[in-house]
Amino acid sequence: MKKLTIILALLFCFGNIKLEAQFITNLVVNATPPSTLTDWAGRREILGFLVVAQGGAGSNPRPVLIKTEITLTDGTVVATTDLSKAQPYTFRIGNNPLDATDVLRLENMIFNGKYKQALTRTGKLLSENYQICVQLVEPGTFAPVSELKCRSFFIASLQMPILMKPYNEEVMDITKAQTAITFRWTPLVPKPTTPVKYRVQVFEVMGNQNPVQAMRSNFPILDQEVTGITQYIWQPQGILKTNTDEWDVRLKVDSPRTIGPDMEPDLKKAGRYVWTVQSTDLTGNPLGDGNINGDGRSEPFVFFITPTTAKGGKEVDKLKEEVKKLTKKE
Amino acid sequence: MMIKKKSGLLLIAAVLVHSTMFAQQQPPASVSVSGNMGVSYEHYGLSRDPSGWTGFTPRKPYNQFRFIFQPNIQFSKNFSLPFNFNFSTKPTNFAGPYAGIGKQNIGQFVTNPMNSFGLNPKYKWAELQLGTQYLNYSNLSTGDIGVFGAGVDLRPGTYRLKFFTGLSQQGVNFFTGPPATTGAYRRKNWMLQLGREREGKYEVAFNFAHAKDDSASANPPPATIKPQQGFTLSFVTKIVFAKNWYVNVEGAQSVYTKDLTTPLTNTVKSFEPFLKAHTSTVRDYAGEAAVGRKSKNFDIGVKLKHIGAGFQTPGYPFMQPDRLDYTLNTRFNAWKNKMNVVAAVGQRVNNLSNTTLRAKQFIGNLNWFTQFNDNWSLNLNFNNFGFQSASGINPYGIKNVSTDLGISPTYSWMNENAMHTLTVTYNYSKYDERDVVTGNITSNNTHMGLLSYIPVFLKKELTPDFSVMYFYNNMPGFKLTLITLSSGLSMPMAKKKINFRGQLQYNYSKTNSFKNNNNIIASCSVEWKLHKKLSWNTYITSNHFKYGDEITPNNARYLESNVRTGFMYRFGK
Repeated sequence: MKKLTIILALLFCFGNIKLEAQFITNLVVNATPPSTLTDWAGRREILGFLVVAQGGAGSNPRPVLIKTEITLTDGTVVATTDLSKAQPYTFRIGNNPLDATDVLRLENMIFNGKYKQALTRTGKLLSENYQICVQLVEPGTFAPVSELKCRSFFIASLQMPILMKPYNEEVMDITKAQTAITFRWTPLVPKPTTPVKYRVQVFEVMGNQNPVQAMRSNFPILDQEVTGITQYIWQPQGILKTNTDEWDVRLKVDSPRTIGPDMEPDLKKAGRYVWTVQSTDLTGNPLGDGNINGDGRSEPFVFFITPTTAKGGKEVDKLKEEVKKLTKKE
Repeated sequence: MMIKKKSGLLLIAAVLVHSTMFAQQQPPASVSVSGNMGVSYEHYGLSRDPSGWTGFTPRKPYNQFRFIFQPNIQFSKNFSLPFNFNFSTKPTNFAGPYAGIGKQNIGQFVTNPMNSFGLNPKYKWAELQLGTQYLNYSNLSTGDIGVFGAGVDLRPGTYRLKFFTGLSQQGVNFFTGPPATTGAYRRKNWMLQLGREREGKYEVAFNFAHAKDDSASANPPPATIKPQQGFTLSFVTKIVFAKNWYVNVEGAQSVYTKDLTTPLTNTVKSFEPFLKAHTSTVRDYAGEAAVGRKSKNFDIGVKLKHIGAGFQTPGYPFMQPDRLDYTLNTRFNAWKNKMNVVAAVGQRVNNLSNTTLRAKQFIGNLNWFTQFNDNWSLNLNFNNFGFQSASGINPYGIKNVSTDLGISPTYSWMNENAMHTLTVTYNYSKYDERDVVTGNITSNNTHMGLLSYIPVFLKKELTPDFSVMYFYNNMPGFKLTLITLSSGLSMPMAKKKINFRGQLQYNYSKTNSFKNNNNIIASCSVEWKLHKKLSWNTYITSNHFKYGDEITPNNARYLESNVRTGFMYRFGK
């Protein structure tokens, strides 16, 4: 009788184990993910967490919580899941692929110190080496029900290129500009391990348009891809022109410029152009790490093309009028 | 359907034009009309040889009509009605929310940034703003985005009350193509300004700018863009003191939700009733200040600008955050106004929030012009941009330095027939880049020489100009040589009713040891004053380019042509 009781008890225990699902997990994290944490959601190429629930027929699916912790390499805790708020998950037997939407639920994460401040201000993690650890735990007791899986990653907040040359509101004489214009910009920082494709784009600003409007509506007169370098020499081949319909254009940048003794260049007959650089990866996907347009375009600059100038940096027509007036007086 | 809608709009515009012209022919004594209207057509042609070769892509739309209708009807001293209608028949959007759009519905046509339909009736200090408006409230709140809607600009005494609401973009469905359409969410904006201003004396104002996307307005939704919401509050002060000293200060806070599909949260502070926080909501500050003095012969100014790492405002979608700029600018005239110097020096710190990858950029510009005597003048310019960042994951940090030096003496002489101007320009440009892995510095050097001669004939109407330019760029593994010969001729014709200008240009270009490329460009522009108020402007250019053997297929060539012609009618006297 005693033996039978022991056998029954053992059967009951093993039966119970068999009836409750067991979990095997696997965590995959991109070594250099985007710094904007909301950009991780729904993208398994950035964070993938596979839960394999095992059990025979009739096994009881049991609810579990996902506990996530982000730490620095020295062990300092950056963020951890608030398990009291975490939603329980019930996994079906078999493979359950998850991504950051479930593993890194920002509304349930508690961030610490300067990391919380940075996340509130920018939505990004600071540039550091991190480790992310994920484990399934039991609701209530928070006892682990799966192995702890950890992966390291490095956050490098991408800084978009800044345009250098032609500088903002540079005034160029058409005689020089029609042969070549050199475009230069700063590289994407930090420099990624794979080359970056830069697309240099120039748009004509029509009368009555503002530069951003021109960029959002016009066909580019230059759309050139260069890979890995931050300079492009453009031969405009007759596409640049000065303006036949005069309009009132004033420099917006506070620093006054000159092309002659006049205080500011006469831009009434100037052609206006806006240029920018779009940064993409080698497959053409825009880089930008959470920038407002999501298209990887840098803040645009404007440049002006003025008619051929003669003595004193004056337009030929104006100079001619002045000379004629002068000779008449004499 | 679309054609019918567009035709309808054209018809309305035509009726308005006709009625306005009629009104202008027999105006009541107190009504006056100024401004202009016009229509232009642009044709672009491209033929490539061998056929099927796509190495050179079109640079303009093949056919485009543009219409302008901008009369300002002044009914009385106090009441005016300015129109601002600008629109084109074919969408050419390349970047931004309408990128790649083909057929537009009427809502998309009206709010497309390439079209504007604005009407601003104004009575004394009250202005009603209807249709498309590009309103600039301040540098940190809103200014770059056009909104189609309605609003007011009220200026009783020194008080300022401005409000505008409408759509800055319509929903555009994502389409894989071809042609691919990025897609966009419908965005509703509003903006408000409350303040006081005395022109030329002071301005104090609070600015509010808000935009919210409608998540359900695009189906299928854009693949790469998330629905967003943003709110910005700014306070701006501008004061002009005695002796032309000025101080401008603006401080702003933005709250921006990068993805409205993310869950609502209490962990990020909301800005109710304007914006409820989601997990993707960020909040940050920006500020700018300028102090200086402006006068006829001497300007000096200091400017400081800080944009926080999370500062985003829907009114400036391309504003680059996380930076601090400071510059000192000056300009002065000396030596009885025969010498003019303009200089700027400053620094820009990028990635400010990121201490490990902070990047510094030095900016220095100088332009110095001197007219020594009636014959000689000299222009010198120097520009330096230096960029440096920490190494991060690479062994070396980025270091790029761009230096340009230009010297341009001009000799002019005059006799009884003509004034001659001969200018020689030499520019040296150096661009050094450090390799972040090896630490080696690559130098990219450019030399440019230009000789130009312009005789201005006093007894003849024609004005020719001639120039020769040499451009040489080299860096390890790359050499580019360009030579340009160019000549232009301008002259009035038909009793000065026609202004003609023609230009012929030949370009020689050679890369490394490849066979050279040849390029001939011919262009002409004709400005014909048909009537005191009506002009007809035409610009024609033709570009023939023949490659050597630097690309495959060898000897490929293309012929590009562009014709732009348009009539412009000027209202008023």
